Amino acid sequence: MNIALAGNPNTGKTSLFNILTGSYEYVGNWTGVTVEKKVGVLKNKAGHLIDLPGIYSLSPLSRDEGVATQFLLSEDFALILNIIDASQIERNLYLTLQLLEYGHPLLIGLNMIDVAKARGFVIDEAKLSALLLNSPVVPIVARTGFNCGLLADQFREAGSRKGTPLVIDYGEVLEPAVQALIERLDALEFASKRWLALQFFEGNALVRELLEKHLPAEELELLYSRTEQEIKARHCQFLHAYIRKVRMDYIERILKECVTRTRTVDYPFSERVDQYVTNKYLGIPIFLLFMYLIFKLTFDWAGSPLSDLLDRFMSGPLRDAVIKGLDAIGATDFIRAVVLDGIIGGVGGVLVFVPQIFMLFFLISFIEDSGYMARVAMVMDRFMEKIGLNGKAFIPMIIGFGCNVPGVMAARTIEQPKERLLTILLTPLMSCSARLTVYSLFVGAFFEHNQALIVLSLYVLGIVVALILAKLFSSTLLKQSGSVFVIELPPYRFPQWRTLFRSTWEKGKGFVRKAGTFIFGGSVAIWFLSYAGPGGLAVDMDHSFLALIGGAIAPLLAPLGFGNWQAAASLLTGFLAKEVVVSTMNIIYAAPNTDSLQGLIAGYYSPLAAYSFMVFLLLYVPCLATVAVIKKETSSTKWTWFSVGYALVIAYILALVIYQGGKWMGLH
Amino acid sequence: MVLADIKPGCKARITNMESLNEMVRRRLMDLGVADGVSVRMKRILPFGGPVAVEAGGQWIGLRRCDARRIEVAPS
Repeated sequence: MNIALAGNPNTGKTSLFNILTGSYEYVGNWTGVTVEKKVGVLKNKAGHLIDLPGIYSLSPLSRDEGVATQFLLSEDFALILNIIDASQIERNLYLTLQLLEYGHPLLIGLNMIDVAKARGFVIDEAKLSALLLNSPVVPIVARTGFNCGLLADQFREAGSRKGTPLVIDYGEVLEPAVQALIERLDALEFASKRWLALQFFEGNALVRELLEKHLPAEELELLYSRTEQEIKARHCQFLHAYIRKVRMDYIERILKECVTRTRTVDYPFSERVDQYVTNKYLGIPIFLLFMYLIFKLTFDWAGSPLSDLLDRFMSGPLRDAVIKGLDAIGATDFIRAVVLDGIIGGVGGVLVFVPQIFMLFFLISFIEDSGYMARVAMVMDRFMEKIGLNGKAFIPMIIGFGCNVPGVMAARTIEQPKERLLTILLTPLMSCSARLTVYSLFVGAFFEHNQALIVLSLYVLGIVVALILAKLFSSTLLKQSGSVFVIELPPYRFPQWRTLFRSTWEKGKGFVRKAGTFIFGGSVAIWFLSYAGPGGLAVDMDHSFLALIGGAIAPLLAPLGFGNWQAAASLLTGFLAKEVVVSTMNIIYAAPNTDSLQGLIAGYYSPLAAYSFMVFLLLYVPCLATVAVIKKETSSTKWTWFSVGYALVIAYILALVIYQGGKWMGLH
Repeated sequence: MVLADIKPGCKARITNMESLNEMVRRRLMDLGVADGVSVRMKRILPFGGPVAVEAGGQWIGLRRCDARRIEVAPS
């Protein structure tokens, strides 16, 4: 049995999904965390649960909302599990009515019942159920798991009920028009044609697209405009506003029957916090301070010391143990070289950064879950508007600091297509955690005393370049009109430790997995290229294939300060994943641990060249996974190539300016 | 009178949202901001930045220029 999980954004759908399926999905306290539908196997083996993106209505405005409507139009499923935020019941029921009109059996999870009670709502569930075509209503608290088992027990029974569509009377103008449309849809195979007709009149673009396959577009347009004219004459300006009004009146009647409000409550805490974080003068400084603290924690205070410990373990006890093991099984020199130089050097060199990366993901999760993210979007909106974006574009960018892939996906919550495309193109400029591994290596070698500051400067550079390009692109390539910015500001909440740790692990897991697959394979391949050459196997590194390939590119990089074949080869392999640069360097310089690698590279770069290298690495191309997701999100080969091409050009120019400018100023 | 004129902490009832851009209007309606709804101004950000209003226990951020297109009556 397939069960679709639908509900408004930020109502706890993903939390419920995690509880019911036992798997873990990404949870955040901002609108649009679920950007595409996810499928999980139910714990009680009753079937599959499909987590749809949060929607307010079935008429989609942004692309992630279209996913849900498309699902209803084309997929096969037995039951809709509709999750409702009990403290926002009025608004939430709007979607519920549309789902009931759709006519599939519905099971309602009345979530955050504890919050609703605290806010003074008393809901009579039995009456509510009776008023919603007897769809079962189960009060739950998805955050803690309260009653979720009870909800799961209802699946089989609720799914076997026969779905009857809800029929609301839309009045003397719309009803005949709906009937007329239904009659014209005789040939169409679809369970609820009334729902289709209503969605069409509401202006649902996806439904219109479907209908246009069966009826001439002009006929549909004529029917629509004639109906809207009549509504205008008698009721209000817009057809969809009229339909909304009818439904809202219906909801009001339902609520009168089954909800009583005993008191109203304010959020003194949220309000007090907002006084500071969205303050006239303090808003932006507070945001920058947060960012600074994040870097301090990641590098100076917690992340780096832990990474050093891990490095010492890997290059000491672990390496010794592996050598002993190899001796014991009598491994050949070739095998020894693969394992020690290729695998331990390459994969181990990347794994030592796990503590720093987990620290960063932990802090990003904290911000996401606390509700601060939406405030940041709001504080930054004025500024972002000036450069042709909107405040929401800031969220993908912050997520991009962790990893560009979810960052690019998070851009789906932006309603305006051009703003969305622009955000997708610029998110890869945000310095992701994989690039961090390279900075860590270099700042340790060249800027020992200013580590956090130097790394922060790179992050800021990425942001500044993104903002300048946003202005440039939005006033040339992607001219636009009608920017949209409306954002929900959820009340602040202190993140739950459990969610926080799980979400950190989920994000960081990808990094560890990458180390086991991509980087493992890449390391072995790179090692082999450095071990073999035109002259045969076990050649001197400078005569290896890798040196040949790197050497061909190196002259191009000479004006940037790092014209050696090693740098060229590392950058080339860095396209696979940015942390592969570190693996490659470990292998090329045959360094047993990070300390000695830092000592070795100090001989190849001047501090200025090292900085230029980091700048180039920050900007040069999105990694393979990011390019793939850009292709998927924009569904345009042209824009995908553009994202790679412009980045390469910008990286080259900036590194050139920094290196040559620095030299001219007397730096070295 | 328009929404942008309301002082922080004060309430107003929305009377007309017709001059808003279609997408903005639809999104606001999704969040429960519609004709006849009572809202309270929460915060006004500096430099012509967005405003935060409360409607039905829910906080919503919108741009100042959009707040100027929403007609309200004081309540």
